[in-house]
This record gives sequence, C-alpha cells and structure tokens, in this order.
Amino acid sequence: MKLRFSQLMTAFAISLGILVGLEIMTSSLLPALGWYEYRLTFNVLIIIFLAIRLNSASLPWMIVGFQLIHSVFSVEGWALGTFASLIVMLVANYLKELLHLTTALVTMVTVQLFQLVWHVTVALVICLKISNFEKFGMILWSFIPGSILLSLISPLLFWLLERIWQVPSESGPAGVDI
Amino acid sequence: MGILAIYGISQKQFNLDEPSLFHQIVTEFISPMQKGLANSKKNLSALWENYLSIVNTSKENVVLKRKISRLENDLTTIEEMRKENLRLKRLLHFSDDQPYKKIMAQVVGWDSSNEFKVIRLNRGSLHGLKPMSPVVTDHGLVGYVYRVTENYSDVLTILDQNNRVDVVVERTRTHGIVEGIFNFKCVLKYITKNEPIEVGDKLITAGVGGIYPKGIKVGMITDISKENFGMTLSIEVIPSVDFHKLEEVLVLIQTDEAVNASTDPVSSSVTKESQI
Repeated sequence: MKLRFSQLMTAFAISLGILVGLEIMTSSLLPALGWYEYRLTFNVLIIIFLAIRLNSASLPWMIVGFQLIHSVFSVEGWALGTFASLIVMLVANYLKELLHLTTALVTMVTVQLFQLVWHVTVALVICLKISNFEKFGMILWSFIPGSILLSLISPLLFWLLERIWQVPSESGPAGVDI
Repeated sequence: MGILAIYGISQKQFNLDEPSLFHQIVTEFISPMQKGLANSKKNLSALWENYLSIVNTSKENVVLKRKISRLENDLTTIEEMRKENLRLKRLLHFSDDQPYKKIMAQVVGWDSSNEFKVIRLNRGSLHGLKPMSPVVTDHGLVGYVYRVTENYSDVLTILDQNNRVDVVVERTRTHGIVEGIFNFKCVLKYITKNEPIEVGDKLITAGVGGIYPKGIKVGMITDISKENFGMTLSIEVIPSVDFHKLEEVLVLIQTDEAVNASTDPVSSSVTKESQI
C-alpha cells in the first residue's frame, strides 16, 4: 500500500511527536524516579520499525529527522545513530524475506537482534573514535539491559506505529511499500 | 348545669387539692403512657440529635481529613524546602573565596543515550553561562559546561569517558588522569607501579588544562590492581559527588580576578589551599 505524501508526512510528524514524548520520559522523568543507570533509547526502536516494516526511498531522510530530534536530548548528535541506522537498514534489506513478526515473542527477539547490530556498530565507532578497543565489551555491555527492556516494549510500540504508518499487521513478508 | 359548675368553681381551692379516688385511678392509669410517650419523645429527639450530630461529625471528619492531608502536604513541601535551603546554603558557601562568579542551576535531565553521561541544567547563556565553565557541588567536581543554549546547558560529567580530568593524589601529590567508565565510576590512569598510593586516597583537581580550578575534590580511590604486564596501575575511583542525588549544582564562571589569580603564582597558591 502506497501512502500519499501528505499521509507520509502526517505519520512522520506523529512519530516525531511520539519520539519527543518518549525522549522526555527517558531523559527527565525516569531519572527523576531514580532510574539513572540505563537509558531507553526509543529512537533505536522507532528506526528499527521503519527499517523492518517499511520500504521507501525517503526512509534515510526520515531517519535523519528522527536522529536530529534525538540529538536534542543527547550529545551523541545525529551522525552516529544515522550511521548505525544505515547498517541496520542494510541488514534488514537482506533479511526482509525471512522476517515475519507474527507474534509478540518473534517481534521481541527480532528487535533484540537488530538492537545488537545497532549497538555493536555504535560501540565499534566509539572505540575507533577514542582509539581504545579495550572498552568495546564494556560499552556494548552497558547497552544490553536497556535494550532488553526496549525489546519487551517493542510489540506495543510496533502495534502503535503500524497504525500510524497504516501498515497492515504482519501476515506476509515484512516490508510495506510506502 | 351552669349553676353546678359555678358551685364547683367556688368550692375549688387552687393552693391545695386532695385528689379524688377517680382522679387517682385515672391518673395512675394514664401517667405511665404519658411517661412512655415522654420518654419516646426524648429518645426520638436524642436519636434525631445523634443522627444529626453524626452527619455533622462525618462532614466535619471529611473536612478535617482534607485539612490534615493539606497540612501534611504543606509539611512535606516545607521539609523539602528546608532541605533544599540547606543544600543551597551549603552550595553558596562552598568555596566562598574562589574568584569565580557562581551561578546556581538545577539538573533538569540526563542524556538520553547510554554511552554519554551528560546532565542538562536549567540555566543558559542568558544567565551568564559559558562553555567550558567548571560545574561543582559542595561535595566536589561534577564536570564542565559542554554546550550552551539561551536557557539550558549540557554538562559533560566526570563519569563520561570523553571527559578527562587532570588530578593530584592529595596525600602523595602524584599526578594522574581521571576518566569516566560505566556504572557511575571512574578510573585513574597513568599512575606508575612504584607510586605509594593506597585505597582511600583522595583525588583533587590539579588545575592543569585551563578548565578546572585547582583543589576541587574529584573522588576517592576504591580499588588498586597491579597487572603483571605494563608499567601503570589499574585504579578505580568513586566520584565525590553522588550523581544519583544530584539536584542543584554551581557553575563557576571565570572572572577577570580568576584569570589574574591563575596567572599569579602567589595568589594562585593561596586560592589552591583555601579550596582544598
């Protein structure tokens, strides 16, 4: 199903709004409640959804948009996540025919694997930047608890995003042209 | 009949009366009923009064409960304000003699990425904050201002792996670099194996690098491990500041006096000692 440009922009804007809300929650509300150790990186979850469930030439630009919003809440900036997103998109493209998010459990496992791809990429880039690969394991390990929580949340968020992006629930091969 | 009645009235004495037998019998018969009715009336009126009083009490109870709840809230707020007041007082009096303009700020958020330990403050360039300004609490060093917008600023804390602080071990005066690692801890690097440092040694800023003034508490050594290879020790440091309880911070803005103090070795050394 192809979305009209206006529908695409509406879905994009709503998703950006959701990301802003979730970023505020993870950066201010959760620390205020005593949650300091691990951050829930919702931008990763939204981008994984886009990479797995949508096919669009404008996808990279939308990802930059999401990353720009994320950079407001993190000194990480937009570039590192955008690079990781491209790697995730490449992997998703190769595996699209195999991905069927038919149940919540499959969604959780798939999201966890894609998050692993994301975080390995990010950890490698950080190690490269600080010229210290000894920290690779430590950096990667720091992502794991938060990513598991995100995987547990993913069926709910994917359900919501499917409605926003007007993607029919999974029944055939993953990926819908928009 | 009228004459009989007039006669009866004429015979009646109002100051004293002897009841007749009839009167006595009727009175004895009627009076218990009167008594019963009178008691019932009393009971009914008592019941009614009780009911009304219960309704009133229950209403009063609701009002009082609300009042108590409001007072408890007020008490909590006052207690929080008292604690905040104490914290702010400590913060304001912290290093009073430092030649820096001090701007108090509140922590409003943390970086939303795992790999960066950055806090957001509710003060920005409009309030006089400048990039690279040191940020402290009365417990010690927090970090430095990394980026500033008009009303907000981000602080790269010493927990971040991108922040390196030149420090001195207070007891031995050994120089090293403190770097953030994960789990809210830091490492002290470049300390050679022959340095006589111990667990419990305190670290203070060395004043090298132009960001942090000398003598601010950074942390305490909690673990030292000597590896078989290499020349340096592997040292774990717990920051002086409890980042889990960080609410207000002080941003130190360099003034002309501070610039002069940092260039003048005599006044600089005085400042150093007072800061420690």
